[in-house]
Amino acid sequence: MSSSPTSAQTTVDVVMPQMGVSVAEGTVAEWRKRVGDWVEADETILEISTDKIETEVPSPASGRVTEVLVDVGSTVDVGTVLARIDTGAKPGEPHADEHAPQAGPAVAEPAAAEAGPLPEKAHPPEPAEHGGNGHGPPISPVVRRIAEEHQIDLSQIEGSGRRGRVTKRDVLAFLERRDDAAAERPLHIESPYRDEEPAPVQEPAPEREAAPAVGGEPLSLMRQKIGEHMRRSLDTAAHCTTIVEADMSRIEAARKSGREKLTYLPFVARAVIAALREYPMLNATLEGDRLTVHEEVNLGVAVSLGEDGLIVPVVHNAHELSHEGLAARIKDLAERARAKRLEPDEVRGGTFTITNPGAYGALLATPIINQPQVAILDLEAVVKRPVVVDGDSIAIRPMTYLCMSWDHRALDGALSAQFLSAVRRHIEEWSG
Amino acid sequence: MPEITYLQAISDGLREEMRHDESVFCLGEDIGAFGGAFKVTDGFIEEFGADRVWDTPLAENAIIGTAVGAAAEGLRPVCEMQFADFISCGFDQLVNVAAKMHYRQGLAVPMTVRLPSGGGFSGGPFHSQNPEAWFLQSPGLKVVAPSTPEDAKGLLSAAIRDPNPVVYLEHKHLYRRAKGEVAEGRFEIPLGEARVAREGTDLSVITYGAMVQLALDATEDLDGASVEVLDLRSLVPLDTGAILESVRKTSKVVVLHEATRSCGVGAEVSALIAQEAFEDLDGPVVRVTAPDTPVPFSPPLERAVLPQPDDVRRACLELLAY
Repeated sequence: MSSSPTSAQTTVDVVMPQMGVSVAEGTVAEWRKRVGDWVEADETILEISTDKIETEVPSPASGRVTEVLVDVGSTVDVGTVLARIDTGAKPGEPHADEHAPQAGPAVAEPAAAEAGPLPEKAHPPEPAEHGGNGHGPPISPVVRRIAEEHQIDLSQIEGSGRRGRVTKRDVLAFLERRDDAAAERPLHIESPYRDEEPAPVQEPAPEREAAPAVGGEPLSLMRQKIGEHMRRSLDTAAHCTTIVEADMSRIEAARKSGREKLTYLPFVARAVIAALREYPMLNATLEGDRLTVHEEVNLGVAVSLGEDGLIVPVVHNAHELSHEGLAARIKDLAERARAKRLEPDEVRGGTFTITNPGAYGALLATPIINQPQVAILDLEAVVKRPVVVDGDSIAIRPMTYLCMSWDHRALDGALSAQFLSAVRRHIEEWSG
Repeated sequence: MPEITYLQAISDGLREEMRHDESVFCLGEDIGAFGGAFKVTDGFIEEFGADRVWDTPLAENAIIGTAVGAAAEGLRPVCEMQFADFISCGFDQLVNVAAKMHYRQGLAVPMTVRLPSGGGFSGGPFHSQNPEAWFLQSPGLKVVAPSTPEDAKGLLSAAIRDPNPVVYLEHKHLYRRAKGEVAEGRFEIPLGEARVAREGTDLSVITYGAMVQLALDATEDLDGASVEVLDLRSLVPLDTGAILESVRKTSKVVVLHEATRSCGVGAEVSALIAQEAFEDLDGPVVRVTAPDTPVPFSPPLERAVLPQPDDVRRACLELLAY
């Protein structure tokens, strides 16, 4: 294992990719590799975020990262060079950092001191423990995938499998411990892939003081974006919320008789679309003093990403779809949203939004409008209730509240009530 | 619900179908007056008469060929092979004529061929085989292999109702040993749906037929490991979704069958997993099967050939430790 650098400099640029026709810039969300790291072609080198999408950028070539030119958090135009890769380098020539002892959660200081890009102290080359090169125990596909997804350095884990192999159980246990320790963990020391910020190297003291802090980790980019968006909406629109109650019996019956078991959402979405066609003023966007009433219904559907946040993919031309078509599209978008595989254009252009946290049992909510739309419908839990039907008899019916927040700048209460009544009518008179 | 044997469940399923639908009839060697070599059709000739319970010559080619013709004409014949091993005599009628009828002539062939299969009773090489893999290679056939009395009855009904020729493997070892509660009356277990026989998180044993109960027993207490047992029930169509779901959960897989190893169901399931669930694997996919050899007559040799509980335990422990 020689450490002499190759003289043949063949450099490949990593550029900010074009992520959809209407996107002109992107923000570096996270570097997975840093200067000196070996990267395989198509391996993720960084994560970027555009508008609301976060996505991984694959390396255009195999080689060693020689330069990282854009810091995390910086927004640059499409085509800007983000990093350079020397394709003349050889794998298996570790630069010292790759084998620097990794600090566990408790011992932060030495690692921080040694982690500069040009270490003064050379580490003797060691055979890669988990390199998958025939010397160490193999890394199974599932372990490799989990390690990549959670940016785990496998050399930190003591394997319990054959020949010390790190098993799936080991890596999951490690992940659980790491998550448990997260609250009191000093920032950034865990991950060998994140760029070290200069401050801790020069002044490690403040970080140590901050370490046991009051639950301190910066908000993710996604959370920051959601926060900005929500705050801006509240500052912009004149929010009002109107609520009607709807009897879901027909839809309940349709769900059971359908070929596949669907949730309430596609049925309600279908009813909303039908009502939007009757009251197009709700299918509108308001930007400044310009109100645009849209011909086509591009239906946004909020998808929870768990702790990461929330994203609203858009079913374009939703008025052309049946409830079954809507179900398939929503399912596809939700799955790809959770896998971070949405195209940026798939979260744009919405004309009305439905949010559907009903699965968690809440009865009422006052949602915040997804700007620049003029209304958002909240579908909450469907609950069996005694209701008065057919004159004066009482029956048990699956009921739900349809809560719609709307912008009083664009419309008035009478229209929103008429619209919601139309949604209710389409739900209660559902005929497929 | 009454508790009945696997054999009674097959018998009940067949009787219910014959009572329900006059187009269902059965044919085979000694199935009439004698009631079948294993007594599945005991009493049938008395109830349904010799027109619907045919004793045939010792000619599997004729049994299956007759059934193909009857099925093409709209009846629903159920053939009994006295032993699964003998089906090779009727091979051409099954894999060439019956399986391809729909593709060649657009005709449905709603027939069922019952195959008493499997070893474990010193039946020797002509009376102990598990020939299912032959039929996995013949597009146009469906193949089922129930492991419980309930599945035996429900899958037989579904096989008889299906418009395609169905090869129905009934394991002889289960006939009088497997007992369970079975609903009365007609019901169908859909073809192509696997069943989780026991849920688990650490390792999946994917199997079918007589090996399901063996897997459950062998892995019940495995140093505290949580072992999932997936009963395929249908081999064609194969429930790939259930297989992959189990693999995604446990990441370690033992495929177990009594049939011989090469190009068997285990090979097919392993290849599927390698291709579709590679990134979920935490160890090699392991097959536990009979070796590529005929089933011997000698009891100790037969035990050495057919998968035993210890073989399953050993393979699972080895893979768990990997």
